[in-house]
Amino acid sequence: MGAQGDFLQLLHEHGYKLDFFPSHASGVTDANLSLITRGTTVLAMKYGDGVLVAGDRRATAGNIVMYDRTDKVLELDRYCVMAIAGVPATAFEMARILEHSFKYFRRSQLQDLSFEGKLRALSNLLKENVPAALAGTGAVVPVFAGFDPQQGCGKIYFYDILGAEFEGVEHAVSGSGSPTIRGILHYLNRWGDRPLATLDEEQAIIIVLRLLTSAAEFDSATGGVNYEANLYPIVKRITDKGVQNISSEQLKDLFATQVAHYV
Amino acid sequence: MYEEPYRWVEAVGNRRQYLDDQLRQGSPVVALSYAEGTVLLTFSKGTPKLYEIYDRIGLAGMGHPADLEKLRFTLLDMAHMEGFQRSPGDVTGSRLVKYGLAPVIKQAFEEIFRAPFIIKILLAELGAKPEQDHFLTVDYDGAFEETPGWAVLGATPEIQRHMMAYVKSQIPQPPPTLQVSVETALQTWAIGSLHQTQEELKPDEPNKSGPATTVQNDPAFDETKILDHLRDTLSEKTLECAVLERDAPGRSKYRSLSPEETRSLLPTVLQEVR
Repeated sequence: MGAQGDFLQLLHEHGYKLDFFPSHASGVTDANLSLITRGTTVLAMKYGDGVLVAGDRRATAGNIVMYDRTDKVLELDRYCVMAIAGVPATAFEMARILEHSFKYFRRSQLQDLSFEGKLRALSNLLKENVPAALAGTGAVVPVFAGFDPQQGCGKIYFYDILGAEFEGVEHAVSGSGSPTIRGILHYLNRWGDRPLATLDEEQAIIIVLRLLTSAAEFDSATGGVNYEANLYPIVKRITDKGVQNISSEQLKDLFATQVAHYV
Repeated sequence: MYEEPYRWVEAVGNRRQYLDDQLRQGSPVVALSYAEGTVLLTFSKGTPKLYEIYDRIGLAGMGHPADLEKLRFTLLDMAHMEGFQRSPGDVTGSRLVKYGLAPVIKQAFEEIFRAPFIIKILLAELGAKPEQDHFLTVDYDGAFEETPGWAVLGATPEIQRHMMAYVKSQIPQPPPTLQVSVETALQTWAIGSLHQTQEELKPDEPNKSGPATTVQNDPAFDETKILDHLRDTLSEKTLECAVLERDAPGRSKYRSLSPEETRSLLPTVLQEVR
């Protein structure tokens, strides 16, 4: 019975296992490891109104582009998102479990799961996934961002593949393109015109677009903006009003004037 | 002693009487479709009676709170496992009732060495359009009924018929606004509640036969009586109101209305009641 509101427990009772690429599975070799889809740049950054979370759209397997319309910024509930990097099969599954966990908790316990409780839920999943992560078949390195209605502020957390949790006080990045932009974020925050946390929404979006374009420049597994296909990164803002998408029209406009043709 | 068939039938008959007695004090429930969603309404004392089950499904119960909790968890577990392992779109009120809830209630009702559920349940399911809204009710013996547009819970089938007849006479087409629906729901609730009080006063009088109920021959239908009854109830009990909103952002459409919001939806004559 779910009297504790624990959805993962309910799943286990029904015989479900998250470890769906078990490390002892036969046939996992270095050669076919390179065929597993991965590669990404995702980032979360605090700005004036809350948190901005963004991700490129590319999924790669080895040097093959699998897909160019991936949504890696996954809404878990009204107030939080998980931006994923790593093996998408496992990451999407984790997001689905978390989404249902938060809903199940709220509906069964008649109160929202606390922000810390949500963080713990993600850590638990990552911990359970360690064997698959170490085997290379299920490594997921997410960024968790949300608005804490109890404390009235945005929060960002990032993880290593073993599930260790770190708070990103100003920003956090993940994925193969992230080393490129981590330094830029630090530089901008420290010596830029103003600290990132004081930017307004438009300024913050411009920075996010420039960062993702830089990541795509140096990381082949990160997709840049595709003008012809009208394909822009996923950018979401999280404020006291909840999670909202930044429209691709707005991104298109800002990209054209502030990123592509900016002197 | 129950191995003889007629004893069993007698025992089940006794159960009906017992359950009818237990439910006579319960607060009726009304659920209606309106233009932008569906609304669930009841009065409660202490324990809430309206709950969220899944993205587009709300629950209302009448009866024993412990039984309602137990069945609520049965529904929650089933809905969330189904929504996770298949898809949220596969979680429908009809499947939850037919394969989850009704068999459990029926079994408990007929196993005469076990306690039955003292419960009547209503599920409201939000559709993409008002005509796709679904309402399901399950009786204490596991019998269920599916209706479009609206559904009610009352202590007896007779009372439910009175309430249904009233809703039918009041609901305008196309579906009304939330405010109009809340007013209709309140009046329907009052009709159910007044009938229950009447039956309580003369419980021995058989009230099962007679011509089909219409609003005209319904003695409880008297506007001042309804208004007085609502005024009394508002000062004694908590008005509970929840909505499933078609245009709510995100997947979860259920929202229980705050006391202030509920109050603002009341007809003006009832707004000042404290």
